[in-house]
Amino acid sequence: MADGGVIAAITAGDGDPREQGLVRLGTNQPLVDYLRSVWDRREYVLSVPVSEFRSQNLDTVLGSAWHVLNPLMQVGVYFFVFAIILKTDRGLDNFLTFLAVGVFTYHFTQRSAIKGARSIVSNESLIRSIGFPRVILPVSTVLSEGLAYLPAVVVMFMVALATGVRPSPFWALLLIVMVIQVVFNFGIAFITARLTTIFRDFENVLPFALRVVFYMSGILYEVENKIDSPRLRQVFNFNPVYAVTSLARHAVFGQPAPTILWFTAFFWAMVLFVAGFFFFKAGEKSYGRI
Amino acid sequence: MEGSESPVAASGASADAGPVSIRLEDVHVTYRVYEQRHLRLDDILEEGIKPRRYRSIHAVRGVTLDIHAGEAVGVVGSNGAGKSTLLRAISGLLPISDGAVYARSQPAFLGVGAALKPKLSGRQNIYIGGLVLGLSNKEIEERFDDIVRFAGLRRFIDLPMKAYSSGMRARLHFAIATAVTPEILLIDEALAVGDRKFRRRSARRVEEIRAGAGTVLLVSHGLDEIIRSCTRAVWLEQGRLVMDGTPEEIVEAYTKAEDASDDENDEAGAADVSDDGDAAGASGDASAGGVGAVEDREAARRRAKRARREQRRAAREQGV
Repeated sequence: MADGGVIAAITAGDGDPREQGLVRLGTNQPLVDYLRSVWDRREYVLSVPVSEFRSQNLDTVLGSAWHVLNPLMQVGVYFFVFAIILKTDRGLDNFLTFLAVGVFTYHFTQRSAIKGARSIVSNESLIRSIGFPRVILPVSTVLSEGLAYLPAVVVMFMVALATGVRPSPFWALLLIVMVIQVVFNFGIAFITARLTTIFRDFENVLPFALRVVFYMSGILYEVENKIDSPRLRQVFNFNPVYAVTSLARHAVFGQPAPTILWFTAFFWAMVLFVAGFFFFKAGEKSYGRI
Repeated sequence: MEGSESPVAASGASADAGPVSIRLEDVHVTYRVYEQRHLRLDDILEEGIKPRRYRSIHAVRGVTLDIHAGEAVGVVGSNGAGKSTLLRAISGLLPISDGAVYARSQPAFLGVGAALKPKLSGRQNIYIGGLVLGLSNKEIEERFDDIVRFAGLRRFIDLPMKAYSSGMRARLHFAIATAVTPEILLIDEALAVGDRKFRRRSARRVEEIRAGAGTVLLVSHGLDEIIRSCTRAVWLEQGRLVMDGTPEEIVEAYTKAEDASDDENDEAGAADVSDDGDAAGASGDASAGGVGAVEDREAARRRAKRARREQRRAAREQGV
């Protein structure tokens, strides 16, 4: 034992570790502490979308112009297929604006769900290297998508003005719709993020589920014109994605929206946000595992 | 502390050290890795579709250890011995399956690289890295010049990080990660890629943290790295502690065991871990953590077999 280093010598000291000022690691943080540590990283949360946005189109000739060009081209494709070839625009006098608002609003939620689903699994090395509240990852993912949505909003208003929509005070309501949508998207991203860590296959199912939502939310058609059954029309009113896109359309077209849509959007946003947060946090400790 | 030339004090393990800053109590880490087996039609016909098989890897098997404030502890051991896994378990980033980890404060893992964006400039990445480590923009601004000076990247700070050499990148990571001066710092193979000047500088930074009653844990295949920077070392093999002592003792025993086993079976473990020379290559997959060890399972098995033999011999020699 003269060289002081054999197995028998390797023992931890006695006494309660807590009395020596030690804290046990890897236990669940109380909610208040968790939220405080999220708040402490707020500058990081806000910096991620900005740096993401900056790094996205660094290698292209047109650079950040793509943030506007991309949504513009999307509307062009949809308009070509649905108005010119399929002629689904009958009964609508401004199909182009109708389409632009619907498609962009939907896209924000769709991208939040898909990118949110990847926010934990694609950041595995980050999670295994740095300790921070993991909820930051889906949050900053949704904010990144929100930032990418802003150029689309500009395009939306450009299309509206170009097709003869008059500016109106209702446009300001779009801001409230966007806040509700961001909260809703947080909830969605929390849920898809954890589900993907539980079943990796979920990531492959999600795009199809979102396609179904896309067709069931009246993005390409007007529910009032295309759905005959009044009862079925009522069902649409409780679909949060329909509610959000429809609210955005009413705002852009300068019309007051039915109260039920506001209620549906607000209700789902709150429920999904709170339930999604606790669902996500319950898996917090499992995210470091391979 | 700039002037202190020999960080290695003559003290043995935990003789005159400060209060306990990390305590490991019978820590076990087990994780599942799914087998990469291609599903073939005849297999399906014979056995039906079954969920993919997985293998449980028991990477750390009951480690009990006290580490004190003011110590810099080096961890040595062959590839797949569980060193990186142990480090991640201490950081609280990898959930442990049994036992307990206690610490005076949240240990900081030197792994800021994962947060950085290769397309963005070094300047922007210093902000990203600092923010993710919990600094505010203002605090980063104050430390910005120090970080750049320490990393030695003044002329390259506005270039995108993907243009940096691996050594430059490692320097930047280390500079950002230690800008916070954590109470407990965990380093996994981060220093070996730098050039001599940087290694000297980083050894000094480790010494500064240690001298300020901090604690440093260093996993490295660079054995003179351990001798240069550490006050104590432990030898991990097969997920268990084999030996605990001064860096010189551990490095000597470890090297002896390695050499002995190399002579014994040349054909089996030919292209294996040497000390310093291999370190640069090994650090390449440091960020991949435990996964790297799984990829060459065949080699790991061979090494493990050898390690068991070494362990038995070491125990025999020391009369346990």
